[in-house]
Amino acid sequence: MFLQQLLNGLTAGAVYALIALGYTMIYGILGLINFAQGEIYMCGAFVAVLLLGTGQVNFYVAFAAGMGAAALLGVVLERVAFRPLRGSHPLVPLISAIGASIFLQSLALLIFGPNDRPFPIQFTFSTITIAGLPLSSLQGAILAAALGFMALLVVFVRYTRYGKAIVACALDRDTARLMGINVDRMVSLTFLIGSALSGAAGIMMAIYYNATYPRMGLLPGLKAFSAAILGGVGSIPGAIFGGLLLGVAESLGAAYVSSGYKDAVAFAILILVLLFRPQGILKGRGD
Amino acid sequence: MSAYLLHLAIVGGIYIILAISLNLIIGYAGQVSLGHAAFYGIGAYISALTSLLWHFPFPLAALSAILFAGICGLLLGLPTLRLKEDYLAIVTLGFGVIVDMVFLNLEITGGPDGLPGIPKPSFLGFSFRSPGLYLFLTLLAVLLTLALTYRLVHSYHGRALRAIRDHEVTAQVMGINTPAYKVAIFTLAAALAGLAGSLYAHYITFINPESFGLHTSILILCMVVLGGMGSLLGAVVGALALTVLPELLRQFKAYQDLAYGALLIGLLIWRPQGLLGSGKLSLKFLERKG
Repeated sequence: MFLQQLLNGLTAGAVYALIALGYTMIYGILGLINFAQGEIYMCGAFVAVLLLGTGQVNFYVAFAAGMGAAALLGVVLERVAFRPLRGSHPLVPLISAIGASIFLQSLALLIFGPNDRPFPIQFTFSTITIAGLPLSSLQGAILAAALGFMALLVVFVRYTRYGKAIVACALDRDTARLMGINVDRMVSLTFLIGSALSGAAGIMMAIYYNATYPRMGLLPGLKAFSAAILGGVGSIPGAIFGGLLLGVAESLGAAYVSSGYKDAVAFAILILVLLFRPQGILKGRGD
Repeated sequence: MSAYLLHLAIVGGIYIILAISLNLIIGYAGQVSLGHAAFYGIGAYISALTSLLWHFPFPLAALSAILFAGICGLLLGLPTLRLKEDYLAIVTLGFGVIVDMVFLNLEITGGPDGLPGIPKPSFLGFSFRSPGLYLFLTLLAVLLTLALTYRLVHSYHGRALRAIRDHEVTAQVMGINTPAYKVAIFTLAAALAGLAGSLYAHYITFINPESFGLHTSILILCMVVLGGMGSLLGAVVGALALTVLPELLRQFKAYQDLAYGALLIGLLIWRPQGLLGSGKLSLKFLERKG
């Protein structure tokens, strides 16, 4: 029972971590909390579900297209709603992001309607028992994919030219510009990567819960933000660690305290972290 | 028709109080709250419950609503307002979701069915049963709110708040206790939203969680941004405009939220000072580090 809950928590937590990475990277480079991250997550899920619904493409193509659409949306969003406002009072881009979030959510509501959509293809999953622990292969696949994406991101940021350029921009935008880094392009790239990861998270959740709907991004977005704060906003390992920890806490809280208030656990953790350790559990910046 | 206009005037008055109180947080303290409708809802439910369960007279019910909403604001503001403005936005968003969940799940709030049969206010043998008299009561509350906030923002404390908004570090260096100010203004704004909730509950006489969700918080935010952040008159104009416009454009109701989202982004890009703002918020004097 305990191990099963732990595993459920890790699966949800891995997905939160993917969204939290988007928050934390964008925060690192712009000092901005992108409120529309949950809607980007929703967009990825919708594109994949609609493509698969046509029956013309296979799962991997749909997955890649969903991530691509989310990435594109992120980049466009930065161009339209954030870039013209750079350099103004911090309040201004924040409100703009809220506007973008509400705009995208109601657009999805108009286009797709309020109802849940099931995931169009059925996977046949087996349950493997490892050392007395029943592991559904769906959970295994989600965990493996999420951890794979995170590993790719860490390698990208640590060891490639573009990754290092993003870190440089996060540390000091003006100095980075003096070093010949095209800061605008790095900001776009950050939005691209962060949004693609959120899109992937959306598709995974659409499979896991078998439901895609316009407001699906609200709560995961909120929880992923809590996860980013928990790990220390701006820190990539922090977002991963925070996401996993939050997922496990939520799952155990639902199992042992009260399942009715499952969604409140993330919020309670957020408040506690802000009270006692606002810099997050893993303190870090920019990397 | 005139009854309809009276109704619009009363609802508009309630929104004015909400917009002014949110404008205190946004335009004067430089913070964003996305859970303002939650305080509005807390005020409405407390006022309704005290008058239904304990038969509190209206002034006492309204006072409990104000106090309770204020205390909730204080408890929420204390941990979050020491930090950057972004945190408050997310925490209040979460708070809004949680309060909505509580209204829906508690037995005492009637769950999704809400609370019917809230008495119309009457005190000292005088009943505000007719819409005309209720409008008078609402106007009284609006004028009190306006007088209070006008006095506040034109005092020493108002200048301190604007200093915090414009440059928090400088304000701190000048000896202003910035967290205390932010918490105080947030508490006051929550209390005023509680007053608006009480007015709403006793006017409509029926409340359910639907009126106090994220949609309402966004609507109030739009009113503030449209009217002009940091302008009291702007909040009044913004509230009235967004009370009347949706009524005129009722056939486009499905597009309402879409329009609010586009309105927020468009205003911030092309006219960040709103209709009547001073434009201070838009000046690019704050080069962000990062």
